Amino acid sequence: MLPDDALDRINQGCRSIGNLCKQEGVAQWEVVAFQSYGHQLDIEAGKISLAAGGGEGGYGIRVLEDGRFGYAYLVDADSATPAIKQALDIARASPSVAGFVLPSAQDAAPVNGLCDQRILNLGPEDLLEQADAVLSEVASLDGRAVVTGGGLGVGATASAILSSEGIDASGITTSHGLGVQVSIDADDELTSSYEGDSGHRLLPDVPSCIASAVNWAQVTRGPIEVSSEPHEAPVMMTSEGFSPLFSMVVPTAVRGDRLVRNESFWSGKEGTIVLADDLSLIDDGRMDGGKSSSARDGEGVPTRRQTLVDQGRLVGSLWSTRDAAQQVAEGRIERAETTGCAVRGGHQAPPGTGCSDLTMTSKNGGHAQDALLERMEDGYIVHSVMGAHTANPTSGDFSVTTSTILRVEGGSILGPVKQAGLSGNLAKALSADVHLGDEVRVQGSYSSGSMHLPDVLLMQGLRVNPA
Amino acid sequence: MVMSASPTDGHKSGTGRYLEQSKIQAALDQAQDLGASYAEVRLMAITDSSVAIRDGKLERAIPGQEIGVTMRILADGAWGVHSTTDVLSLPSQVESTVRLAKAVAARRASKDRPVALAEVPIFEDEVHWKPKKDVRNTDLDTKLHHLMTLHDSAAEDDRIVSVTCGWHDEHLHTELLTSEGMNRTWSYQRSLINATVTGRDGDDVVSYRTRHGGQGGLEVIESCDLGELGRSAQIATLRLLKAERSPSGKIPLVADRDLTGVYIHEALGHPCEADLVAAGDSCLDGKLGQTIGNSIVTVVDDPTLRDGYGAHPIDDEGLNTREKCLIKNGVLTEYLNHRETAHHFGIDPNAGARAQDGLHHPLVRMSNTLIQGGTHNDLDELIEDISYGVYACGSRGGQVDTGRGSFQFAAQEAWLIENGELTKPLKDVSVSGLTLQILKDVDGLTKDARLAAPGFCGKGQTVPVGDGGPIMRISQALVG
Repeated sequence: MLPDDALDRINQGCRSIGNLCKQEGVAQWEVVAFQSYGHQLDIEAGKISLAAGGGEGGYGIRVLEDGRFGYAYLVDADSATPAIKQALDIARASPSVAGFVLPSAQDAAPVNGLCDQRILNLGPEDLLEQADAVLSEVASLDGRAVVTGGGLGVGATASAILSSEGIDASGITTSHGLGVQVSIDADDELTSSYEGDSGHRLLPDVPSCIASAVNWAQVTRGPIEVSSEPHEAPVMMTSEGFSPLFSMVVPTAVRGDRLVRNESFWSGKEGTIVLADDLSLIDDGRMDGGKSSSARDGEGVPTRRQTLVDQGRLVGSLWSTRDAAQQVAEGRIERAETTGCAVRGGHQAPPGTGCSDLTMTSKNGGHAQDALLERMEDGYIVHSVMGAHTANPTSGDFSVTTSTILRVEGGSILGPVKQAGLSGNLAKALSADVHLGDEVRVQGSYSSGSMHLPDVLLMQGLRVNPA
Repeated sequence: MVMSASPTDGHKSGTGRYLEQSKIQAALDQAQDLGASYAEVRLMAITDSSVAIRDGKLERAIPGQEIGVTMRILADGAWGVHSTTDVLSLPSQVESTVRLAKAVAARRASKDRPVALAEVPIFEDEVHWKPKKDVRNTDLDTKLHHLMTLHDSAAEDDRIVSVTCGWHDEHLHTELLTSEGMNRTWSYQRSLINATVTGRDGDDVVSYRTRHGGQGGLEVIESCDLGELGRSAQIATLRLLKAERSPSGKIPLVADRDLTGVYIHEALGHPCEADLVAAGDSCLDGKLGQTIGNSIVTVVDDPTLRDGYGAHPIDDEGLNTREKCLIKNGVLTEYLNHRETAHHFGIDPNAGARAQDGLHHPLVRMSNTLIQGGTHNDLDELIEDISYGVYACGSRGGQVDTGRGSFQFAAQEAWLIENGELTKPLKDVSVSGLTLQILKDVDGLTKDARLAAPGFCGKGQTVPVGDGGPIMRISQALVG
């Protein structure tokens, strides 16, 4: 999938651009490069609708003079000179951030499990066979079920970073992902569920999310009548349902710059209890096989594992080099330095700040679903929400809709509810009575990083509004 | 690896085009020789610029150039696609892409129809929507001046703890060559300015965002009173600090034109996309010609509204864009389609194909979608007979389950309506419902329909869109 010389070529491109920066007399510079190749299939209406492949990539150049930075991106290393000049012009028009320098070179131990040779050897035919297996599995699980949308893909990315400060690193990562929308349209009722899985390693031909999608399309059929009065109730959100809201709100709240700028609902609460006192949040940039882990962050600083919330107490925050220097220079905080949390979405933008592989744990451990339902007594199970991206990361407030919701009474599942609104404040709900499930599943994120979350029972603070 | 064609190198010929036509034509011919019934190569070059200021200081300015090319090949009734930034490598991928298409076709069940394309007129021309003020000639100082105007007017209060303003402009240049002889080049620009204002009062922290933008160059930004835009955002932020939580339940809802636009985009626009209909993932399947809404509801999607953020002269299959009337007086009249779905449904293609960029294949997408105006004069007239309801304004976005026909959208701020009057400010208002129910529950529209703030639509690919309409009243909506 990846040309044998892909890494050599982007390294060569970085050196070429670095040499041009030197020729232009740039004080500090940093060049990043990404080049991705992959194959993907789209599935529609129960069949493969399209097969695609290809590659893309480019370079990003960050230049720094006297605390002023500029950035430009391009696709062709041979035409870097005008981009460097543009970046320099921007740097010279930018305000100086006292103390802002590019990070110096440090050793970084590799992180395991980010590249799977088996993926590198995959071709489109392998994906087609996997798609066949998935479609067959869905049909065998329920003859009424159809994969109405989704797809699968594999990819490999060569990336490199080279800087005037001696950072010189490159590597290859692989990815394999799959997502399916399974619908059951029968007896004048349509139910559906979207499930997916992805990672750096080769997935099984038929991952467990396929059966889960079919299951949720089945168990939400035949809605029961419930009172349409809005009411507060305990809600157990599955990892899949909780993660979109959590990822929209929490990673942003623990960014160091937002904390010191009063832009986080946890601003001014450093060192105090902000979550239920059994809960901890750990961001691990070095997790074996972690979807968002790597040996170095987006500006070449070695990543680390750090506790952000320890048994309810806010003890850490996420910083990149520039954010730290800027907030110190502007007097919002006496001292701050990078925590290896610079993140990049690609070559088209300079690094921002964000988490890597974020885990929420409880010192009380995890509980089986039966035990969580017993504790809940009367409430709801929610497996997916619509509109999680409309949650307010500044306040933690959210108001979303769900069509995969089950009513629980006396600790037992009574049946599905057709549709309901769900609202509350996530920060407040997580600071009250919270209980975690015993199976952590990895989910994506609406902001940065990957979320490692079990099912979460929120006993207080959520309002349910059945349709 | 990375491509070697950019506006600054030697690959853009004196014709102003990036693709070397003789080589691309040879590739298209080769695809047909290998058994393709149709092949196309579409290149898109984007020159863009992003600027952000935070609390009045330049945070970052990023000029960029992107180029991508996608080859789409239809063979044995199935698609094979190859996308790359390496333009020069494209001809070497023809054989493998034909093979890919044939491999997909070989898996087609006997009950499934092969993909075929509706016939379209063939053009060989260039279409350039010239901006009044080419945004590529706008210097950083000018951009900063406009951003600072927006910032300064939004920041004038001690309770405003942060104002972040952003600028994005882009010049989009597309070339399309097909095995049918289509040979078109087109270009246009888009410009956008936005602000996010954060306010804090004790432990209460809120944020409000505002945007202005459209198709065109610097004139788009200059047409906006940025001082007023910033002041409005500041006032709204301070109001949110005092706002109460929204009531929940089924109650009358009045939506401003921003929210009306998002509503019609989510609730109707997406289910009208013919690729979703064909995939069995739309609640509007089989409902063409049926009454699905109140007779006061007429909805159009119109990429030729030149001010709209979703405007474009030619769709990504090379068809001239035109207005599509999705609902006429409550009757579903037209799906948005592209050539494949037009053939599937046996209807005329209506130029609804859009791709995010040169690295993506076209899907059926909206452009500028709006409800036409009604008969009410103003907001006061719409709310005068509502005893208890909500007036919701501004959009935080929305989402739809097109198959079920359920949708959700969130407002930036709202007011309680009591006895025909706006009383308390509210926050965190969201609205959900079922498309086929709520279109019937629209029972009042003001006369003055127009596009509202620009937006972005995600469907695996992100494209800019415009939405809007008049102020709209829904007799009963699920508000949370």
